[in-house]
Amino acid sequence: MVTLTGTGRLRRASALVLLGAVALFSVPACAAGSSILDKDSLVIGVKPDQPGLGMKDADGEFTGFDVDVAAYIARKLGKSARFVATPSSEREKALMEGSVDLVVATYSITPERKTKVAFGGPYYVAHQDTLVRAGESGIAGVRALKGRKLCQVTGSNSWRRVKEERKIAVELVEAASYSECISDLNAGKVDAVSTDDLILAGFATPDLKIVNAPFSDERYGVGIQAGDLDGCEAVNKAITEMYLDGTAKNLLQKWFAKSGLALTFTVPQFEGCG
Amino acid sequence: MAVITSTSGPAPAPIPPPGPVAAPTPASSPQRTPRLRTVPGRIRAGAGVAVLAVGLLSALMGVALGHAGDGLRTIGHTAGPQVVATADLYYALSDMDAQVATVLLAGEEGGPSRKAALDRYDQRRAQADSAVLQAADLARGDPTGQATVRAVLDGLGRYERLVSRALLLDEQSPHVPGPPSQPALDAYRQATDLMRLDLLPKAYNLTLDSGTVVRHAYAAESSAVLVGRFWVALGGALALAVLAALQVFLARRFRRAINPALLAATIVVGVLTVAGVLVLQRAADELRVAKEDGFDSVLVLSRARAIGNSLHGDESRYLLDPQRADTYEQVYLDKSQSVLYVPAGNLDKYYAAVDRAVAAFPGEADFLGFYGSEADRVTVPGQRETLAKVLTHYQQFQHDDRRMRQLATAGKKSDAVRQAMGASFGAYDDTLVELTALRRQAFGAAVAAGNRALDGWDLLLPGAAVVAGLLILVGVRPRLAEYR
Repeated sequence: MVTLTGTGRLRRASALVLLGAVALFSVPACAAGSSILDKDSLVIGVKPDQPGLGMKDADGEFTGFDVDVAAYIARKLGKSARFVATPSSEREKALMEGSVDLVVATYSITPERKTKVAFGGPYYVAHQDTLVRAGESGIAGVRALKGRKLCQVTGSNSWRRVKEERKIAVELVEAASYSECISDLNAGKVDAVSTDDLILAGFATPDLKIVNAPFSDERYGVGIQAGDLDGCEAVNKAITEMYLDGTAKNLLQKWFAKSGLALTFTVPQFEGCG
Repeated sequence: MAVITSTSGPAPAPIPPPGPVAAPTPASSPQRTPRLRTVPGRIRAGAGVAVLAVGLLSALMGVALGHAGDGLRTIGHTAGPQVVATADLYYALSDMDAQVATVLLAGEEGGPSRKAALDRYDQRRAQADSAVLQAADLARGDPTGQATVRAVLDGLGRYERLVSRALLLDEQSPHVPGPPSQPALDAYRQATDLMRLDLLPKAYNLTLDSGTVVRHAYAAESSAVLVGRFWVALGGALALAVLAALQVFLARRFRRAINPALLAATIVVGVLTVAGVLVLQRAADELRVAKEDGFDSVLVLSRARAIGNSLHGDESRYLLDPQRADTYEQVYLDKSQSVLYVPAGNLDKYYAAVDRAVAAFPGEADFLGFYGSEADRVTVPGQRETLAKVLTHYQQFQHDDRRMRQLATAGKKSDAVRQAMGASFGAYDDTLVELTALRRQAFGAAVAAGNRALDGWDLLLPGAAVVAGLLILVGVRPRLAEYR
């Protein structure tokens, strides 16, 4: 620097030193991806065909417990919500691609899924239970299904929990969907339908009753892109508030009280975002 | 930047007032106007700017070091340990419930184990009380968190009443090891439902919440330290540029060789800048190690321990309440899978899968869950071996669980009770505590190393800045004297 003659050069040299320093020590930009908290509006995946949980009506509007929970969370986050139907098989894919921001669709938290997406919540812990005809008195629990006819829905795992996990010798009767199981039950073709209690409650009519003998935990989570810790924590906070301010109780009663299902009104144990 | 450098050059650039406060005027002669037209005026201005630049550098460094200190304090001494304490809340609560189940299961004949379980129940209750206080402290400023803490406190009171009733009813109808009388069982059912469905989830969520508090504090402080490091480098470069310009100006104006005092000031500033950048880097690194290798892991292992303990409770409850045995068995499997996940639809498959996964470790870690995440992050010496030990004991615990369930299904109730109260859970829990201690050590060491790196800077920094400032004044003083 001593050899410099012009002030211009000196100035340029100083500027270069400073620029060098800027380049050398520039702050590493936040590597984390986008968060749902940065958005104004959320696209939320729900079920289109699950009575009481997520159902698309004739006007194209979605209704159900999941939909109300999702709307509450979006409101607490200060976002507007748009609902789209997300088939069960595409929930991880939709979240990973970013075509939906949240999934609230009877989406059970499992370790395999957690390798691909993160979960806020669970917002409810459903239990596998059994639905029988109202006049049935011989079935008080899952063990009593021995030798009885149980509806087996193609593609669902619920019957395995009875026949394979509990090793109960039931007679399986195939059906294409739970709606078909319900009509079979009413028609006397099967003696029982066994799956998540909230799903059963959605189908409940005065002719049918839930046994209220739960034998598994299905933790319904709010699917969110992996790595969005801030978003996931905000969802958990919203769910905590949903239970604290009584909204959860109101919504559960609104959708499921008439089924006679024993409901839980206290906040579930969260999965954790980290 | 260009404006400031130009003040030290002789060019008559548009110059902000060079700070009459900072420019010292050792000579008592009255100031001439306008100051920057004369050589002594320019020398004073240059020296003033140089001193200001050094002052700015030390202020920037002081702020950055302050953030580093705050970060280490939050993680290492206040919020971090508090979070671990709230994780103990879950453990204490779930162990209370497990001890009640043990008491009810032990019956008359299990006198000593009944007494021991009651003592442990009292101990855990005291532990839970103090953990609730920690959680309340952490939840300050968070109304949702505070409401949750209050709900836990209320619930704990109700729980204790229900337990007292269950124990009283149990004493009224003595029984052999196995399920207690129906009234006692009914009372216990209410208590355990309150605990498992209401209190434990809330306690767990509180731990997660307070983990969030620490994560945010860490993110804020560590990015402040990194940003501070950048500003320190920039401030150092600026001070060096001003000093170099002053040096050049003096050399040309007075046709002299290098001004030794100014050179010394330049060296002091250069060393201070480099050392400052390095120490901030070091502090940021230690902060990261403390958070990621220490704190995060300790939290995961505390959760594993808490859930593991409620696993053991589920064994007792399985034997205690035959009508709900199916539910407790399913819950046991779910919890086992959150501790160590291997794909398995039922317990028999799970036992076998655990055998395979543990046999393959440490060659490969083909499992998820808490231990999966611990196996993914092997950073501490001895951690892999200790984790292997934990897994072996976990496998033994699962073996014993299988045996217990076989005995229970075969109708050998008291053998099953003995099996459930066997030593394998304690042995497993001890190795887990050992692994946690290893992580806690790494955590403490990183916090201490970070604090050591920052040690002395509260004196060193102002000292070096004052020395550099004095050297600048000493350097320009003889030149100013020539005009007197």
